[in-house]
Amino acid sequence: MLEIKNISKTFNAGTINEKRALDNLSLKLDEGDFVTVIGGNGAGKSTMLNAVAGVWKPDLGQVFIGGVDVTKMPEHKRAKFLGRVFQDPMIGTAANMQIEENLAIAMRRGNRRTLKWFITKKERESYREKLAELGLGLEDRLKSKVGLLSGGQRQALTLLMASLKTPKLLLLDEHTAALDPKTAAKVLELTDKIVNENKLTTLMITHNMNDAIAYGNRLIMLSDGKLILDIKGEEKKHLTVESVLAKFYEVSGDSFADDSTLLG
Amino acid sequence: MNIDALINGLPGAAAQGLIWGIVAIGIYITYKILDIADLTVDGSLGTGGAVCVMMMLAGYSNGMSLAAAFVIGMVTGLVTGLLNTVMGIPAILAGILTQLGLYSVNLKIMGSRANTPINPNNYDLLVSLRNVKNVPFYENAIFITAVITLVIVAILYLFFGTEFGCTLRATGGSEAMCRAQGVNVEFNKVVGLTISNGLVAFAGGLLAQYQGFADVNMGRGAIVIGLAAVVIGEAIFGRIFSNFALNLIAMSLGSIIYYLVLQVVIWRGLDPQLLKLLSAIIVAIFLAIPYFKGKYFNGVILARHSGSEKGDAENAGN
Amino acid sequence: MKKLITGILLVVMMLSLAACGGDTADDDSSNTGAVYHVGVCQLVEHDALDAATEGFVDALEEKLGDAVEIEVQLAQGEPNNCTTIINNFVAGNVDLIMANATPALQAAVSGTDTIPILGTSVTEYGVALGIDNFNGTVGGNVSGTSDLAPLDGQAAMIQELFPEAKKVGLLYCSAEANSQYQIDVVTEELTKLGYECTPYSFSDSNDLATVATSAAENSDVIYVPTDNKCADNTGIIDNVCRPAKVPVVAGEEGIASGCGVATLSISYYDIGYQTGVMAAEILAEGADISTMPIAYAPSVTKKYNAEICQELGITIPDDYVAID
Repeated sequence: MLEIKNISKTFNAGTINEKRALDNLSLKLDEGDFVTVIGGNGAGKSTMLNAVAGVWKPDLGQVFIGGVDVTKMPEHKRAKFLGRVFQDPMIGTAANMQIEENLAIAMRRGNRRTLKWFITKKERESYREKLAELGLGLEDRLKSKVGLLSGGQRQALTLLMASLKTPKLLLLDEHTAALDPKTAAKVLELTDKIVNENKLTTLMITHNMNDAIAYGNRLIMLSDGKLILDIKGEEKKHLTVESVLAKFYEVSGDSFADDSTLLG
Repeated sequence: MNIDALINGLPGAAAQGLIWGIVAIGIYITYKILDIADLTVDGSLGTGGAVCVMMMLAGYSNGMSLAAAFVIGMVTGLVTGLLNTVMGIPAILAGILTQLGLYSVNLKIMGSRANTPINPNNYDLLVSLRNVKNVPFYENAIFITAVITLVIVAILYLFFGTEFGCTLRATGGSEAMCRAQGVNVEFNKVVGLTISNGLVAFAGGLLAQYQGFADVNMGRGAIVIGLAAVVIGEAIFGRIFSNFALNLIAMSLGSIIYYLVLQVVIWRGLDPQLLKLLSAIIVAIFLAIPYFKGKYFNGVILARHSGSEKGDAENAGN
Repeated sequence: MKKLITGILLVVMMLSLAACGGDTADDDSSNTGAVYHVGVCQLVEHDALDAATEGFVDALEEKLGDAVEIEVQLAQGEPNNCTTIINNFVAGNVDLIMANATPALQAAVSGTDTIPILGTSVTEYGVALGIDNFNGTVGGNVSGTSDLAPLDGQAAMIQELFPEAKKVGLLYCSAEANSQYQIDVVTEELTKLGYECTPYSFSDSNDLATVATSAAENSDVIYVPTDNKCADNTGIIDNVCRPAKVPVVAGEEGIASGCGVATLSISYYDIGYQTGVMAAEILAEGADISTMPIAYAPSVTKKYNAEICQELGITIPDDYVAID
C-alpha cells in the first residue's frame, strides 16, 4: 500500500544548522497494516510522515502509494490518497466554520470542488450518524462553529474527517500528544475503532511507548533518520517496554539517551 | 453649526459609508476569510476610479464602466496573488509592491493627469453626493448603493456556500487542514485576492462618481478606512450576526458607523490634523477588543494565534 | 460583552466630541446674529492655499463685517475628506461654499447644484471640471479665481535671465492636479523660444531628491510650476540645486523664496481676496454667479530671491523686486 524507497532529506543544507533528517530510509506497508512509529526527538518520525504527505519533496528516493509514484505530486493532489491528523488539535479543522462544513470539505477530498451549493439533506443525515458514533454529543451540534469545541473534540472530528472518505493511508502525527491523558486515551480508543472498522492502512507516530505497543500490528523505531527496529506479527503481540528497550540497545549498542520521552 | 446640520449631514455620510462598505467587504474577504493583510487596495481603489471615469468620458455606459473597473480591479488582485504564491513574496509585501506599481498605472490610465473630473452636470451618474436628499428614492445614492450592496452580499453568500467557496473560507481557518483535504491553498488565495480587489475597484468607480472625480491620491489610506469598518462591524455585530451574509452586511454597517463618527467629528469642528490619529485609535481599540476578550474573559488564547505557529512546528522537521 | 463593546464605542465617540470642544468657541453661530454662513473647504495646509483662504476671509469680513460667519475646514490632503466636508456644508445649508484647490472644487460641484460655489487656487477650470471648449465662464452655480500665472511670461523670464542656457528641466509632482497642464503649456512656450525641455516628475517626496538630482545634472535651468508638493519641499530642491549651481525659476513666490532665483509672481492672498469680493457681491448684492467669469490675479510682479542670486552670481535686471 505504501512504499518508501531510499529517501533522504537534509534541512538547511550548507548552513551551520544542517540537519540530516532522513538517511536512505526505506519502508513498505502492506494493506491493512497498522504501524506505530517511535523514536526520540529528531529521529525523523515527522519528517518521514511529511515526506509521505508531500509537505516537501525528498532530496533522494521515491514514495509510492497504492503503486502510484507520488514523489513529485504536490501536497493537495496527494491528499486524495491520505487521511491526516496533526499533533496540534487547532489546525486539523477550520475553527471559523461549522462542524458540518468541515465534514463536507473532507467528504469531497480528491473531488473537483465545483460551484454547487452544498450540503444536501441526505449528506447531513450521514454526518449526524457518523458523529453519533464518536459518542461526544456532536451529532446535535452540526451548525456549531468548530472553534467552540475542546481540543479532544476537535481531534476526534479531525479523525472522522480523515476517514470520512476512506483513504488509502491514514497518517497520525502524535495526534494525542497535546491532549490531557484521559482525553488522549479516549481519542486513541476511537482511532483504533475507526482503523479497525475501515481496515485502514495506518502510520501512527507516538511518544508513548505503551501506546505503541498496545496498538497496531507492527512497530517501527527510527533513530537519526534510519529505520532501526521493525517488529511485526506474533513478536509484536508479546512486546513489553523492557523488551523494546533491550532490542534497541542490541541494535544501536547505545544507551537510550532520552528514555523519558519514549516512556511518556 | 447646529444640530440640524448634523442630522442633515447624516444621509451623505450614510451614502459615503455604504460605498466604503463595499471596500470593507472586499477587505473582509482577504483580512478575515483568507487571513491576509492585503495592501493592494490603496492602489486598486484608485484604479477602479480611474478606469470608470475614463470609460465614461469615452462615452461608455455607466454599467460598462463599472464592470470594467471591477475586471481591471480583479487583475490587480491577480498580480498580488501571483507575486505571493508563484514568486513567494510575503503577502503584505506583495500588496505593497502592487500598490506602488499601480500609482504609475493609475496615472497612465488617466492620461498622465493626477486628477480627472466627471462633472455631474454633463454625465448621467449612478450615484452623486447631490442625490442623497430631495430626489425620488430610485435616484437616491443611499438607496442605489444599498441595493448594490445587497446584490453583492447575495452573490458572495451564494458563492461562499458552494463547494469551492467553502474551501476559500477554510483556507483562512487552517491552511494545514485545507492541504490535508486536498485543497489547493495557493490557488484559493489568488482567487480570494482577485475577488477582493475587483470589489474594491468597483467601489472606487462608485466613489469617483459620488465625489465627482478620480484622483491618483483617492486610494490613500483606503486600507485603514476599510479595516476600521471591518473591525467596527465585527466588534458591534459579530456576536449578533452568525450568518455569513449578515457578517458581510455588518461590514457595511461598520463602514456607515465610521463615517457617521467622522461626520460628528467634522461637525464639532475638531482640528482635522487629529483625524488620522483618531482613526488609528479607533482601529486599535477595536482590534484589541477580541484579544483582551480572549485573554481575560475566557482564559484561553485565541485559536488563530496557536494556528499561526503551525508553520514553525512543521518546519522543525522532526 | 455586547454592553462592554457598545460602551467602549460610546466612550470613543464622547472622547472625540470632548476633544474638539475647545475648538468650537467661535462657531456657535446661532447667537452672533450672522446673516450669511460661508463654508471654506481647503485641500491641504501650505503657504499658498493658506494665503488664499486668508485673503478670502479678509475680503468678506471687510465687506460684510459681522454679517458673515465663515467656517474653514481642512481636508489633510485627502480628496476623500473633501467629500465629507462638502457634505457637511451642504447639510448645514451654508449660503456659499469656497473651495480652495481642485479636488475641493470637484467635490463641491458634486455636492450641490444650488448653493453658490467659488473656487480658488484652481489653475484651469475647463480642465478641473471637464468642460470642453471652456470660454471663461463656468455657469450654473460655479465661478471663482484662477491661480494661473501667465505661463508665457514665465517662459520669457527664463529667456531674459538665462539667454545662454539650452536645456530646461521641468520638475513637478505627477500626483498634482494642475501641474501637468502647466508643464504642457510651458514646454510649448519654451520650445518656441528654442529651449530643449525635459520633464522630471516625481510621485512623492521620497523620490524628490533623486529626481531633482537627475534634473540638476542634466539641465542648465530648472523650472518648477505652481505645485503643492514642490511648495512643501523647497528645502530638498534647494539642497540639490544650489550646490549644483543650477538656477531654479519658480511658478509662484512661495517656491521661489525657498529654492528659486526668480518668479513671475501672483499673490495667493490677492486671488483669495478677489474671491472674497466675488462672494460678497453674490451674498449681499445679489450678483448672478452663473454669469461671473473666472477672475485672474490682478497683477503680476517679477520677483527674485536675493540670497540665492548672489550665491550663484546671477545679475538681476532692475525691474525685479526682492522677495522679503
